Amino acid sequence: MFEFLFKYPRDDYARSELIYTGDWPPWLLALLIIAALAGISWFLYRRRDFARPPQMLAVWLLQLAMLAVVIWLLQQPTLSTEQLRAGENVVAFVLDNSESMAYGESESRLQQAMRSLSATLADDSSLELSVQHYELADRARLVSSFLESEASGTGTSIAASLTDVLREARFSPLAAIVLSSDGADTTGGLSFSDLAEIAGFGVPVHTIAVGRESIPEDIELTDVMLPNRALPGSTITARVSIRHDAAASTRLKVYNGDDLLESLPVDLQPDTKNTTVWVNIKLADAGHHHIRFSVDGIPGEQELRNNSRSTLVEVADQKYRVLYFEGEPRWEYKFMRRALNDDEDLQIASLLRVSPNKFYRQGIESPEQLENGFPTTRDELFVYDALIIGSVEAASLTDEQQAIIHDFVSERGGSLLMLAGPNGLGNGGWGQSRIADVLPVRLPPSTTNSFFRKKAAVVLTPQGADEQMLRLADTADASRKLWSKLPEVADYQVTGNLKPAAVTLLQVMTDIGQLPLLITQQFGRGHCYILASGGTWRWQMSMPVEDQSHETFWRQLLRAMVAHAPNRISLTASGDGGSTGVSLRAEFRDDAFRPIDDISVTAIVTHQDGDSWSIDLLPSVDEPGVFQADVSPTASGNWYFEAVAERNGEPIEVARASIHYESGQAEYFNFRRDSLALQRLSEATGGRYLEPDELDALPDLLRYSSSGLTETNHRAIWDAPAVFLLLLLLKGGEWLLRRRWSTI
Amino acid sequence: MPKGFYSTLIAITAFTLIAVAVAWGQSSESGSSRAVREAPGEFQFVRLAYSANRYGRGGWGRRQMWQTDWPDAEHHFLKGVSRLTRVAAAEQGRILTPLDDNIYDFPWIYAVEVGYWHLNDQEAARIREYLLRGGFLMVDDFHGTWEWSSFVASMQRVFPDRPIVDIPEDDEAFHVIYDLDQRIQIPSRMFIYSGVTWERDGYTPHWRGIYDDAGRLMVSINFNMDIGDAWEHADWPDYPENMTALAYRFGINYLIYAMTH
Repeated sequence: MFEFLFKYPRDDYARSELIYTGDWPPWLLALLIIAALAGISWFLYRRRDFARPPQMLAVWLLQLAMLAVVIWLLQQPTLSTEQLRAGENVVAFVLDNSESMAYGESESRLQQAMRSLSATLADDSSLELSVQHYELADRARLVSSFLESEASGTGTSIAASLTDVLREARFSPLAAIVLSSDGADTTGGLSFSDLAEIAGFGVPVHTIAVGRESIPEDIELTDVMLPNRALPGSTITARVSIRHDAAASTRLKVYNGDDLLESLPVDLQPDTKNTTVWVNIKLADAGHHHIRFSVDGIPGEQELRNNSRSTLVEVADQKYRVLYFEGEPRWEYKFMRRALNDDEDLQIASLLRVSPNKFYRQGIESPEQLENGFPTTRDELFVYDALIIGSVEAASLTDEQQAIIHDFVSERGGSLLMLAGPNGLGNGGWGQSRIADVLPVRLPPSTTNSFFRKKAAVVLTPQGADEQMLRLADTADASRKLWSKLPEVADYQVTGNLKPAAVTLLQVMTDIGQLPLLITQQFGRGHCYILASGGTWRWQMSMPVEDQSHETFWRQLLRAMVAHAPNRISLTASGDGGSTGVSLRAEFRDDAFRPIDDISVTAIVTHQDGDSWSIDLLPSVDEPGVFQADVSPTASGNWYFEAVAERNGEPIEVARASIHYESGQAEYFNFRRDSLALQRLSEATGGRYLEPDELDALPDLLRYSSSGLTETNHRAIWDAPAVFLLLLLLKGGEWLLRRRWSTI
Repeated sequence: MPKGFYSTLIAITAFTLIAVAVAWGQSSESGSSRAVREAPGEFQFVRLAYSANRYGRGGWGRRQMWQTDWPDAEHHFLKGVSRLTRVAAAEQGRILTPLDDNIYDFPWIYAVEVGYWHLNDQEAARIREYLLRGGFLMVDDFHGTWEWSSFVASMQRVFPDRPIVDIPEDDEAFHVIYDLDQRIQIPSRMFIYSGVTWERDGYTPHWRGIYDDAGRLMVSINFNMDIGDAWEHADWPDYPENMTALAYRFGINYLIYAMTH
């Protein structure tokens, strides 16, 4: 209808500019308008006795409108449209041929994509576009045609591949890119900077989405998170995420090598697409453990390779050091030390002020340790992974010592635990100290007593219930039951308002309502905790001697604290078998945890079969003391890395890491169609996102592309039927009105 | 007899009995069984009101043996603890029986004249559980062969399989705050009159103890000495000041040890 009335399709009007090609001089037009106005006015004035003024006004307006249309037509309105010059432009057809494109039922995604691209050109041969064919996987590859294309790419990097195409074609008249893909990117997706870089070339990218966003017959182990280091005999918790598009029942199994560690039934609910399962794993022996997680396939599932993930956990005999600074003898001190006594991986050195003039040291490794009281230098304090400050006044430490504690958390990455007490937290003036910034709360002033020796029951918050360090039993339900049966703590302290990043894990039920008991927040590289009670010892004294709740609480809290603390030297290896390989990141700091920059770092890369080579790590531009490199493993299996820091040719430090790598496995995961990524790509570049049934629009999108070599096409619209219809309506309307008023 | 004499006598007798019963009830409540919701200090001196053998029972106005030196001993000792240490000590002591459930709220207890105690199986089991959970027991003021054997008889009900040993010189209990290298018999106040420091045949003082599996002292046994008397008579001019000071030091060391180990 639009095209009938206005001569051309609506899209033509949208992409065109309205111009006037009439060559009448403006003065002549103005003279004509004035003359016509005067003529109409004089004509109506002569007939003023035949009609009332409103009727005269209506007729005057209609005749004026008629006159305006005629003058507009005299200007010869014309559509000016930019369109590609026939036979002079190039279009890049990009076919995603990564392994995820092999997925499908009767027709694979790759076949869908090839069909859609070939149909694009077949529909309109008048385009006369020169077509370049590219295959897209981890990088783009120019091919003569798609006839021999196979879904064989072991990774998908849309950003890198498109950048390849755009750079290769920057000297040719590239009109557009047509990408047919499932959008499943194995590099983590398209970032804003990726989109900005691609859009910067000014070439529209039209995307054709293939595949399904929802695959009810498939479940996938999307992620497994667990520490890559553990202490011998410790229990680590793995968070396993399962993606599913429908309700199903499966079983999660965990293997250590060939030994089955755990087998849990998992019900996948219909009201969510992601189910998270927590599994506790106990690793007794030191060494590298290949831990494999696997979920059983569901009926009809085709892709079983994404039902399993592996990781390597290093169990090391590392000792963690904790300094406990306490201002008065009290039961919490005694019972905490007893609870941690049997944990051989934690070395608790404590400095207890027993009398106004005497400190008592326990757990020291040499007579010199803490001989002069609380550490006064960074080197002295930073050897510890965690620091506990009990019921002691802030004023008992100097400004410099408080500043060192601040840096201990923010720079060294240590964990700080502040305990309640008559001289602790707010009462001790810590809210006005140099470490007030580090704390997760705004402590009340020391002028107001905030410590109360009243018993209070403890309750888990929802966040606390999810926190592994507060698990008193193997399962969450059993743990919750134990928490609900714990005796009251002997005392509590009001902590003040929480800071925005603070998380409350435990609360106490007091006369004045529920108050935070265990609070934590990250600060800089480290973490700060507040335990607003000095009375958890009642959990030991009020429960049977066989009960281990008190011991478990303190061991797990301290272990979580030290686990957060980074080592002075570290090497991390990350990568899941995607196209980017394995990223190595080494960090070297001195005894005061200041970054070391005057070194060169080389990593020795070794496969489990013995293949080995070395690679240089380059200094990070953004992070002092950090050295990075990407490694491309040549085979699946366990890989071991050893980063050697050298100064003047002499090795000074060594850091080690390991990883389990499965080559190409990234394509099996996260392979559902990512429509959103393709939409964002098209929107950012001025292209169009198309479903397979919208391909009819593609020829016109290419013809009128804003990129490439274009020409201007002028099309007159003065003879559009709508114009004549308008003239007819104006004149016919006037005639009908005058006839009704009997003025004709 | 005047008219109404008997009825008046009965009324006075009944009133007296009721008053005594009420007073007794209040006394026992304040001593042990009232729920402890709010603590006056981190350290509260708890005196163990144990069951005694037939020689240690009070009666006819005599105190029971566990009450010996009460309340001045703990009153003076608590003042000393507050003055000489950073321990937040309550001003008043407390009395609990072994079977009082509140005993677990006080990880340090003191028992005196334990040569006269007689713990039944239930009480012994309670004391054992208390000590294994982390409680600390200081026993004091018993002398001679007979009292030792009486003490051991009950103690063996508590720990049939744990030996009573001499506390080594280098044990932290003797050094945690004061270095107590000299072994001096701390006498009772009778020393002022008699000039002898021993009682019965307890000529030689012994500092003995019972340890847990981790080598921590759970029970400090002060045999053939009277630390409690030295605390009690700290304000008595005739009692030797050096004995009182030494008694404070032993008591404080045991307390700090109990709060740190």
